[in-house]
Amino acid sequence: MSKLTTGSFSIEDLESVQITINNVIGAAKEAADEKAKDLGPLGPTTWPGLATYRDDWNFKLLARYEPVITPMCDQCCYCTYGPCDLSNNKRGACGIDMLGHNGREFFLRVITGTACHAAHGRHLLDHLIEVFGEDLPLKLGQSDVLTPNITITTGQRPMTLGEIKPAMEYTEEQLTQLLATVHAGQEAAEIDYDSKALFSGSLDHVGMEISDIVQIAALDFPKADPEAPLIEMGVGTIDKEKPFLCVIGHNVGGVTYMMDYMEEHDLTNKMELGGLCCTAIDLTRYKEADRRAPYTKVIGSMSQELKIIRTGLPDVIVVDEQCVRGDIVPEAQKLGIPVIASNAKIMYGLPNRDAQDVDATIEELKSGAIPGAVILDYDKLGEIAVRLTQVMHPIREAAGFRKIASDEQMKEWVDKCADCGSCYLVCPEELEIPEAMKHAKKGDYSYLEDLHDQCIGCRRCEQVCKKEIPILSVIEKAAQKIIAEEKGLIRAGRGQVSDAEIRAEGLNLVMGTTPGIIAIIGCPNYGDGAKSVYYIAEEFLKRNFIVVGTGCGAMDMGMYKDENGQTLYERFPGGFQSGGLVNIGSCVSNAHITGAAQKVAGIFGGRTMGGNLAEIADYVLNRVGACGLAWGAFSQKAASIGTGCNIYGIPAVLGPHSSKYRRALIAKNYDDEKWKVYDARNGEEMNIPPAPEFLLITAETWQEAIPMMAKACIRPSDNSMGRSIKLTHWMELHEKYIGGMPDDWWKFIRTEADLPLAKRADLMKKLEGEYGWEIDWKRKKIISGPKIKFDVSAQPTNLKRLCKGA
Amino acid sequence: MVDTTKNTKLFTSYGVTTSKAINPDMAAKMISKAKRPLLVVGTGVLRPEILDRAVKIAKKANLPIAATGSSLHGFLDKDVNAKYINVHQLGFYLTDPAWPGLDGKGNYDTIIVLEFKKYYINQVLSGTKNFSKVKSISIGKDYVQNATMSFGTISREEHFVALDELIDLL
Repeated sequence: MSKLTTGSFSIEDLESVQITINNVIGAAKEAADEKAKDLGPLGPTTWPGLATYRDDWNFKLLARYEPVITPMCDQCCYCTYGPCDLSNNKRGACGIDMLGHNGREFFLRVITGTACHAAHGRHLLDHLIEVFGEDLPLKLGQSDVLTPNITITTGQRPMTLGEIKPAMEYTEEQLTQLLATVHAGQEAAEIDYDSKALFSGSLDHVGMEISDIVQIAALDFPKADPEAPLIEMGVGTIDKEKPFLCVIGHNVGGVTYMMDYMEEHDLTNKMELGGLCCTAIDLTRYKEADRRAPYTKVIGSMSQELKIIRTGLPDVIVVDEQCVRGDIVPEAQKLGIPVIASNAKIMYGLPNRDAQDVDATIEELKSGAIPGAVILDYDKLGEIAVRLTQVMHPIREAAGFRKIASDEQMKEWVDKCADCGSCYLVCPEELEIPEAMKHAKKGDYSYLEDLHDQCIGCRRCEQVCKKEIPILSVIEKAAQKIIAEEKGLIRAGRGQVSDAEIRAEGLNLVMGTTPGIIAIIGCPNYGDGAKSVYYIAEEFLKRNFIVVGTGCGAMDMGMYKDENGQTLYERFPGGFQSGGLVNIGSCVSNAHITGAAQKVAGIFGGRTMGGNLAEIADYVLNRVGACGLAWGAFSQKAASIGTGCNIYGIPAVLGPHSSKYRRALIAKNYDDEKWKVYDARNGEEMNIPPAPEFLLITAETWQEAIPMMAKACIRPSDNSMGRSIKLTHWMELHEKYIGGMPDDWWKFIRTEADLPLAKRADLMKKLEGEYGWEIDWKRKKIISGPKIKFDVSAQPTNLKRLCKGA
Repeated sequence: MVDTTKNTKLFTSYGVTTSKAINPDMAAKMISKAKRPLLVVGTGVLRPEILDRAVKIAKKANLPIAATGSSLHGFLDKDVNAKYINVHQLGFYLTDPAWPGLDGKGNYDTIIVLEFKKYYINQVLSGTKNFSKVKSISIGKDYVQNATMSFGTISREEHFVALDELIDLL
């Protein structure tokens, strides 16, 4: 490979000719590798490819956590050989079977999510380098380990925007390789698709990490700040008297130009800027490192998009990328709202007005000549979006677009219902709309009002209604009082967990005295309403778990208040500490959640991080009690985020809708052969309890999810105090939400000290009476019975190569 | 007898194989014929009218109950053999002939499912349908495509009648 690096040089013999080399393929990576040699020892897997993690780690994980396939469809409709009937695991015309095809289908979801984050990272990286230059330092807060995911994957430790480029290029290269395996006639084995999905998940956290660290560094976001400002959220916080600019999506790049324009023209108090989904969270982070007064607002999650448009409040909508509905233009058009597409990934068929004069574009949009426009030039975007909002506000006010439906209109809609039941049949949430309409006909709108919290705003009901009733609008009209009072608080995303916080909490987490980390992430497609996320968070916070959140899950936690009118973000501290509620940021900030677990292994556990995924993940799986919750894991990005957590040994509980991912990773808790690891001190096999018993699973209700997550925080290496604390929480939560004692509690007992303190004597009696264990009652000690032995010095590992003498 | 076979419109899962729509008499016959049956109930069973009928079904046909989701609370004082298990986990274990079952006596040949969100149970049963020989009979109020046999989509009132008829026939 060439030894040339990036830069420029002149050939003197050729007069007046200059050759500029902006990039030599591979040179940046080579230069970065040279630099990494000075940064300490590296593990065996820098710059991994499709097969690198397969045998040494992924297959070990998949041997215990077996892929559980639940197809969405019996057929494969992928190629022109088919469609093929694959039911009962038959093979199609190309030779692939049902398992392989569904492995491919899940894998496709994962690489789609990975591509979204990586492409977002590329977009921001290029844009921010263009604006701030390659030498902008990565100041992310108090941390020596700035980029755990990049470092583990590539061995690199970038310190500037420019030094991120090799990791970005590498991620893109591997994504191309991964995508190629989806082609017909390529990979066919389900287990290999699962291994590739895990690899893609690890890349996803690299892409997310890049996306978030570049915006934190360049856009002055809070930097590992436990006291990041509290931000108003909810549609009820929008001042209806002011022009309202509504942004939707997940790419803060363009929005910063709108904010700059507003600030330069003294407009921050004269109009509302708020948004839905992750752009909304990230705009609340912009320039917040120095704690200026927050003025932007988070409206809500993707499930609120149509609902907000239907309120008529937005005067202009700007969309960027990811998690944006496909029908925003026609819906907005009905209410005279111009739509601006600001990212080449979503252009909606709208005309591009980059080359046109700003005033002419504003006039064109104001007149309604076009329903919207593509504007990719951020300078123009910032000015047009803000000025157009002010222009549109009085026009739309005068035209009556900002008024909600009248009571007479509501009655007319309700009376049209023929009670055919089609809406119930197609509703993804199986809401009892016909029942609510029956009551509404009698004048009781409370049943319709109750549907608001569970409704995800998809409007499938409207699509099948033969009477053309705007059912979504009917529900929202019925819930107008609740909606007007939807006012919560969310902490602006703070970014990564600092090294100091890891050092302070690492021992508690590894020993189990802090019972676990509960990561509430994911999108709004809950099985039982948005408030469920609040209930789950509150339960764990009251029990001194560390609760971290991102994206829409973090928003929904902030939407509800206790009897004193306080949100969770006001009641609990924002630090990574026992009983802390940590809003990490938008969904690309999820990389800092895996990053926190990785830092426990690297900083606290002293493990080599660079190029050492298997060892870091092995440490997390055996020692760090963390469990994710993606309660409404709607999107492909959620699939890739969760799978990235899984490869790092972090289990996740998903909501019932996520069964449609087609795949879970569940261990056989009854098969003792699955529950053995090596003791790294001598290479001997040691028995461990069935913990965690899944890496990816769904729960039916939030009540079921809570004890599942508490149980999933149990780890083989807990000390006795930690095991006792974790068992106390799990057993209490099982009693509260499931009922009675869990059947398998005894499998986690190694010694009497593991038993929950308050119930120790009773439980010892059960061990003796029901399980035949021998108890010395004088000394109150277990004499025999446990299949697993307690040894405080044991070093559980799944990697034989880490054992002494191996 | 209430006709529980009339509305079999598909909802969540698609493909070439669909559940056979049955009436309560066929459901009763299949339950009686099963060698190792298991009644699998979702959290929707906690509606009092359904819980009462589920207990009657379990007692009359001597069925052990897999109380999934957060449904176990409903059965703790009802003198039935109910145990908690997550339904996704259960669906996976049913595909393993070596699973000792909830009572340690081995896997099941027939499951009878009741009161789930239909999209959720459809997904769980798509695994057992394609990767096991376990028969599944859905006696809920919604047509479940991936069951071996299922009631069609019926009203709640019709469902109560159908369950009462099933109880009489067991």
